[in-house]
Amino acid sequence: MKNYQLGEFEEIVILTVGILNNEAYSVAIKDEIESRLVRTVSMGALHTALLRLEDKGYLKSYSGESTEDRAGRPRRYFEITALGKKAMLYAKETREQLWKAIPKTVLEAKFI
Amino acid sequence: MKETSTPPKPVLRFFRWYCHPKLQDYIEGDLMEVYERRVKTSGKRKADLRFIIDVLLLCRPGIIRSGNQSPKFYHTVMLKSNFKIAIRNLWKNKVSTVINVFGLTTGLTSCLLIALFIRYEASFDQFQPNKERIARVVMEYSFEGSEDKARGTFTSTKVAPVFSRTFPEVEKGIRMTDADMIVVLNNEPVMERNFMFADSSFFDTFYYEMLQGNPATALNGPDKVVLTETTANRYFGNENVLGKTLLIGNDAKPYEVTGVMRDYPANSQMEFDFLASFSSLRRNQEKTYFNANYTTYLLLTDAQAFAPLQEKLHPFMENEMKGTGTSIHIYLEPFEDVHLYSPYSDFVANTSIKYLYILGGVALLIIIIVCFTYINLSTAKSIERAREVGIRKVSGAMRGQLFWQFIGESFVLCSLSIMVSIALAGLLLPPFNILIGKSLQLAGLFTPSFILWTIVATLFVSLIAGGYPALVLSRLQPARVLKGVFKNTQSAKVLQQSLTVFQFAISVFLIIATVVIQGQLHYIQTQKLGYDRDHVISLPIGWSAEYNLISTLKHELKTNTHITNIARCESSPVSIVGGYSMRLPSMAENEVIGTKATPVDAEYVRTAGLQLIAGTDFSEQHIQATLAEKWEDKEFHYILNESAVKKLGFKSNEDAIGQKMHLNSQGIIVGVVKDFNFQSLRNSIEPLVLFSAAWGNRMLIKVKGDDMVGTLAHIETKWKQFLPNRPFEYSFLDQEYERMYRTEVQLGQVMNLFAGITIVLACLGLFGLSSYMIQQRVKEISIRKVLGASLWNLLSILSGNFVRLVLLAIIIAVVPAYFLMKQWLDGFVYRIDLGVWIFILAGLATLLIAVITIGIHGMKAAVDNPVKGLRSE
Repeated sequence: MKNYQLGEFEEIVILTVGILNNEAYSVAIKDEIESRLVRTVSMGALHTALLRLEDKGYLKSYSGESTEDRAGRPRRYFEITALGKKAMLYAKETREQLWKAIPKTVLEAKFI
Repeated sequence: MKETSTPPKPVLRFFRWYCHPKLQDYIEGDLMEVYERRVKTSGKRKADLRFIIDVLLLCRPGIIRSGNQSPKFYHTVMLKSNFKIAIRNLWKNKVSTVINVFGLTTGLTSCLLIALFIRYEASFDQFQPNKERIARVVMEYSFEGSEDKARGTFTSTKVAPVFSRTFPEVEKGIRMTDADMIVVLNNEPVMERNFMFADSSFFDTFYYEMLQGNPATALNGPDKVVLTETTANRYFGNENVLGKTLLIGNDAKPYEVTGVMRDYPANSQMEFDFLASFSSLRRNQEKTYFNANYTTYLLLTDAQAFAPLQEKLHPFMENEMKGTGTSIHIYLEPFEDVHLYSPYSDFVANTSIKYLYILGGVALLIIIIVCFTYINLSTAKSIERAREVGIRKVSGAMRGQLFWQFIGESFVLCSLSIMVSIALAGLLLPPFNILIGKSLQLAGLFTPSFILWTIVATLFVSLIAGGYPALVLSRLQPARVLKGVFKNTQSAKVLQQSLTVFQFAISVFLIIATVVIQGQLHYIQTQKLGYDRDHVISLPIGWSAEYNLISTLKHELKTNTHITNIARCESSPVSIVGGYSMRLPSMAENEVIGTKATPVDAEYVRTAGLQLIAGTDFSEQHIQATLAEKWEDKEFHYILNESAVKKLGFKSNEDAIGQKMHLNSQGIIVGVVKDFNFQSLRNSIEPLVLFSAAWGNRMLIKVKGDDMVGTLAHIETKWKQFLPNRPFEYSFLDQEYERMYRTEVQLGQVMNLFAGITIVLACLGLFGLSSYMIQQRVKEISIRKVLGASLWNLLSILSGNFVRLVLLAIIIAVVPAYFLMKQWLDGFVYRIDLGVWIFILAGLATLLIAVITIGIHGMKAAVDNPVKGLRSE
C-alpha cells in the first residue's frame, strides 16, 4: 500500500486550503489558521510547508491577479490535487482506526 | 492622499538576495500585504520589527536560492574525483610539487614560529586581574639652571605612601626593588639573583596563588619572606616551610618564611624567587623625593582614573619641590603597556613593539613570496592543464566547478604543508628559543584561537595562491584550447614577471637590511670605546667590605704575576648610570650642571685602560682622604672626562687641573681622561666625573689572560680566605658589554635566518618558473643550436629576460630599504655609514644567485642534443 506522508502542520495547512476552497493563498491561509486554531504561524513555516506539499504533489498552484496592497505582486493560489485528497483521507482513516483501537476505559479514566 | 509606508529597505534587499527567484514575487507580495495591514493596526515601528522577524524566519532551505541553478550534481562523487585528480596531478608534476610543498612548508613554519613569538610577547602580563588599573610611576627630574633631564622608573620611598594618602584615585601604592642577595643554603652562601622586596600591598594588586601562608599578613613587618614553590623545594625539600628561617644578606640576617606561592608564569614582568617585605630594607623615609632607587606601582580605583590623576600630579609636584632647586615630575604608565611600549625595563627586559612589527612584517613577506611562487608555477603549468580544462568543459563542466577544483588542489597542497609545518615548528622550537633568547612553549600552538587562526590562514593562503590560476584556467575557451594553438596569454606573462620582480625586491630588501644590521653589530663589537674590556674580571664584593680588608686582599691577589691591576669601584666602564650635579665656585648660586659620576679608587683608570690626558691619576692618599667618619671631613678629588671639561667651560684640559669643584662636597680636580663610551653606543658621550672614594661594591681585576684557569683559581682561594661570607661569582667585562646589545644581536640573528629563508624561497620560485619557460623554448633553442649558436649565446638569451627582472627588483627595493635602515641607524649616535657598497653588494649577490638558478636549467637545455628537442612528432 502506498504511504502518504503528511506531517501535523502540513495536515493543518492542506485542510485549511480545503476550507478556503478557491480563495486559498498564503496570507489567507495564515489568517485562517491563526483565527481557527489560535496559534501564530510564521510566514517562513507556512511557505516551506506549502512548497513541500507541492513537491509531494498534494497541492498545485497558479498565479492570481496582482493587487495594490501587495505592491503589484501576484497572489499564488493553491488547490488540492486528487493525490492530495487521497492523502487527507488516508490520514483521517488511519487516525480513526487508531481511535477505535483505544479501549473505552482508557479514555473514560482520562476524563474523570 | 494615501500615505504609503515602506518596510526597511536593507532588509527587503537582503530578502531579495537570498530568496529563490521562483518564489520571490509571491512571498514578497505576502510580506507587503501583511506589512500594510500591520502598519494600519499597530503602527509603523511594530510593523517594521515584525517585518524583520518575518524575513529572518523565511531564511530556510527551500526558500533560499540554491547556489547552482543548473541541474544538481552528486557533489560527493565529484569531490572524490577532484581529490583524486589533485593527488595525481601533484604526483605527476613532482618538481613543482616539491618546490611548492618545500616553499609552503618553510614559509608556514617560519610564520608559525614568528606567530608563537608575537603571541608570547603580546600575552605579557595579560593574566594580571587588575592589569587595567595598575600604573607604573615614571619620574623625571632636572636641576634648576640646567637643561638636562633624567627620566626613569626610579622613585623614592616617599611616593607610594604620600600619593595613596593625597589622591582619592590611588587605592594602593606598592614599592618594589630587586637585588642580588646572599642566602645561606646548606651552610654555603649563594648569590640569589631574583630577590625582590615589596610592600604588603603587592598581594592586593598583583596576581598570586598562595600555596601556604596568609597573603594578608605574609609581608607585614620586617624580615619576612615569601618563597616561590621552586625555591621552597630547593631550600627545604617537601617539608612544611612556614615559620622556618633563612639567613639572608651580607650580615646573614634571619628572615622568617611566611608563605609559599606558585611560580610566576614566564610571560610576566615580575620575576622572582624570593619576595621579602619592603620594610626589611629599613630604608623607608618620607623626607625627600631623592634617593630614588625603587620602583613604585599604584593601584588606581579604576581604569579611567589615569588622566584625571595625571593632571593633578604636575601642580602637586611643583608645590612639593618648591624652593629645593630641583624640579621633579611624575608620569603614569599603564601597566599593560610596560612590556611592549615603555622604554624603561624593570625586572624583565622589555620587548619593543617595533621588534614585533619587524618580525610580523617579515612573516608576511615570506608568505607573500611563497604564494607568488605557487601562482607563478601554476600559471606556467596552465598550458599543460589547458587540455584537461578543455575536455572537462566539453563534457559539461561548469566554470564554477573548475574554479573550485583548482582551489581544492591548492587547498590539498596547503593542508599537507601546514601539517608538516606544525611538526617542523615543534622540532625547531628549542633552537629558535635559543636564537631569540625566550622560552616559548609548544603548547601555545594548540590553543583554540591559534588552531582557528591556522585554519583561517590555510584557507586564506590556498585562496590567494590558488585563486588566480583557478580563475585563469576556468576561463579558458575549450574550442581554442583543443585546437592546439594555445599559448600563455600576455596578461599571464605580465603577472608572472611582476610577481617575480616583487619576490626579488623583497629578497633584496631583506638582504640589505641584514647586511646593514650585521655591519652595525660588527661596528659595535669592534669599535674602540676608549677603554679596555678584554681580560677584565668583575666581582661583586658588596658595599660593606672594609677598606683595609680590601687593600690587603688586593695586595695578596697581586702576588700572582698574571694579575696586573685591581680596582674597587661602583660601575664598570661599560655602563655608568649614576646621576649627580656639579658646580664650580665661579658659577651663580643655585646653578648646577647635570653629570654622570661614579666612585673609583686609585687603580681604576689603569685597570679600565682609560687614557689620562692631563693632570694625574688618584693616589692612595686621595682615597684614604675619604675614609673620615663624618661626611664633612671627607676630602674629595675628581677626574673629569673631556666632555665634562667642556661643559664646565674650561678653556683647555690643563686649565681644569687644580680647580675647585662641588660634587658630593667641595673637592679638587686632579686629572682629565679622554672621552670614552661609558654608555651604549646609542647615546653620545656625556659629561662624567670619577671621584675618589674608599667604597664601592665591585672589584675589577685586569689579568694578562695567558693562564686564565690558574689566575681564577688563585683569586678564588684568596677570596675564600678574605670574604668567606660572599659567594665567589665573577663575570667578564666583554660579556657585560655584549649583554648591552642583546636586542640588536638577536635582531641580527633573526634577520639572518629569515633573510636567508626568503632568498631561498624566491630562488625556488625562479627555479621552477625558469624550468617551464625553458621547456617552452626547447624548439627555439634547438634550432638556434643547429644554426650554430654558442653555449654562451644561448645562456645569455635564456637568462637575459630574468636578469632584467632581477635588476628591476633591485632598483625597486633600494629606496624603501635605504629609508628604513637609515631610520634604524639613526637610533645610534655611533653608526656605520649607509654606503653605496651595501646596496651594490646586496644587488650583486641577488643577481648572482638568480643567474646561477636560471643557469642550471639553461645549461641543461643548451647542452642537450638538439635532435631531442626537435623530434617531437
